[in-house]
Amino acid sequence: MILTNNPLVKTCMEGRYAVQFFEDLTLREVLVKARDMVYNGHTLYTHPLAGSVKPNETPYKSVVVSQKPNEFSPEQAQIIAGSIEVCDKFSPQSRTLTRKVLEDFQLIDYTLLSGALGYDAAAGLSNATNKK
Amino acid sequence: MKLELGFIQIRDIQFSKECKVESGTLYVNADEVKDFIFQDDDVKACVKAAHFDIAKPGESVRITPVKDVIEPRVKVEGPGGEFPGVIAKVDTVGSGKTHVLRGMAIVTAGKIVGFQEGIIDMSGPGADYTPFSKLLNLVLVCEPVEGVHQHEYEHAVRIAGLRAATFVGELGRSLTPDETQEFETYGIKEGIEKLPDLPRVAYVHMLQSQGLLHDTYVYGVDAKKIISTLINPTETMDGAIISGNCVSACDKNTTYHHQNNPVVADLFAQHGKTLNYVCNIITNENVYLADKQRSSDWASKLAGMLDLDGVIISEEGFGNPDTDLIMNCKKTEQKGVKTVLVTDEYAGQDGKSQSLADADPLADAVVTGGNANEVIILPPMDKVIGTLDYVDKIAGGHAGSLRPDGSIEAEIQVITGATNEIGFNCLSAR
Repeated sequence: MILTNNPLVKTCMEGRYAVQFFEDLTLREVLVKARDMVYNGHTLYTHPLAGSVKPNETPYKSVVVSQKPNEFSPEQAQIIAGSIEVCDKFSPQSRTLTRKVLEDFQLIDYTLLSGALGYDAAAGLSNATNKK
Repeated sequence: MKLELGFIQIRDIQFSKECKVESGTLYVNADEVKDFIFQDDDVKACVKAAHFDIAKPGESVRITPVKDVIEPRVKVEGPGGEFPGVIAKVDTVGSGKTHVLRGMAIVTAGKIVGFQEGIIDMSGPGADYTPFSKLLNLVLVCEPVEGVHQHEYEHAVRIAGLRAATFVGELGRSLTPDETQEFETYGIKEGIEKLPDLPRVAYVHMLQSQGLLHDTYVYGVDAKKIISTLINPTETMDGAIISGNCVSACDKNTTYHHQNNPVVADLFAQHGKTLNYVCNIITNENVYLADKQRSSDWASKLAGMLDLDGVIISEEGFGNPDTDLIMNCKKTEQKGVKTVLVTDEYAGQDGKSQSLADADPLADAVVTGGNANEVIILPPMDKVIGTLDYVDKIAGGHAGSLRPDGSIEAEIQVITGATNEIGFNCLSAR
């Protein structure tokens, strides 16, 4: 299941994957959602700090967890909690991002996620363009 | 495997009617190079326009946004050609003889992803932070065809840069090098027999491979799709690994970095003296946690199978790759092989925060390339090659980064190669 606040992920991947889209959540809040699920035994499949985009630069984040809870994993709990700590380390930058830059950040998050899931990112984009 | 590199020192670049290298000067007919670049179908389909510019050390010139930096070379003896599996056929490289046009580079510039390409200043304080300010740069500025997806365009610009480097490298084929050097590693048994008393050391080279726009290619294969494997150091010196990524400029390994990897160079310098340089182990940096586990298990397993005494591990990028770095370190140490890590730091603008996103007590020998959050002011330059449109958006820049007078206030992560994580720079606390 994909937890995301990235609209491009919703557009390109909904239907193919279970997507929980949180339009109004910040990057940190998406991580907290994932953390709470990992604490409840859901398996964390992707690294929450994917990409070399710093947490205070991009507003978007997608994390993949199992749909059903399995066994609690202390290692995974450490990874997701550690990621939130890293996120807090970067002071928020007050800047207004243009639509074009927001789209670039959406694309990066989406392509990283596609790479992790073995999803054909290019095909997904073409489908999305066709849908429009 | 033995490779001979013949260095042809380039002392000047000039536009000209014909293409040639004469008495250390590279003469370029830009139209001829462009024709060669546009013979590629993908370039033709995705690149609307391309033009060349020249930037020399000490000039008041800013190149931005920079995508890749490539050293022109040509294979003159032995199997294979430049950039095997991408430009040349996929034959194994790393043996025979290669001519290198030293002192210059092809730089590809132009917008791909607005926020992840870097800056090269040819003079001023910014020039000290990038090794490429010391080179004569032939800059290829590209513009996309309207409506092309970024990943298609990235591919096209990558190929355009490599083709330009191949074309220019070819001009050095029939020249006599100013200097020649030989590099050789031995087979496993041969190495033990020849250097029985020296510690056996390998280089674990982590390749950025997190996904589209975050990729590195090995013989044309996306490194995301490899399992950790062995490669001769001379193969990496001979163009087997190329950059295809748009990560933060400061710690992106450009193709030039791969061609001139300082870890490889330093291990060769000590080979047969203080250590036996066995091989390189290449491994990737993936997003999927199971992939991370597989790749680090495999890299450490290879280190164990080779009975190594020590490895140097370098990473590329920040955040999630820190996890791969620490996994590689921990598992390799647990096999009884000593590790030294090469990385950079994101320790905050005041340098007081924890530097990496992950840590372990076994990571007790670490070399840093510098703190990417350090703030720098880059004065305005007389000439900009490319565009300043993205300075406010690149990683390390912020709204207001670009001041009205053309100067830039930003973190050094905007500068190409500033905190390079294979140690190709000279930031120091000394």
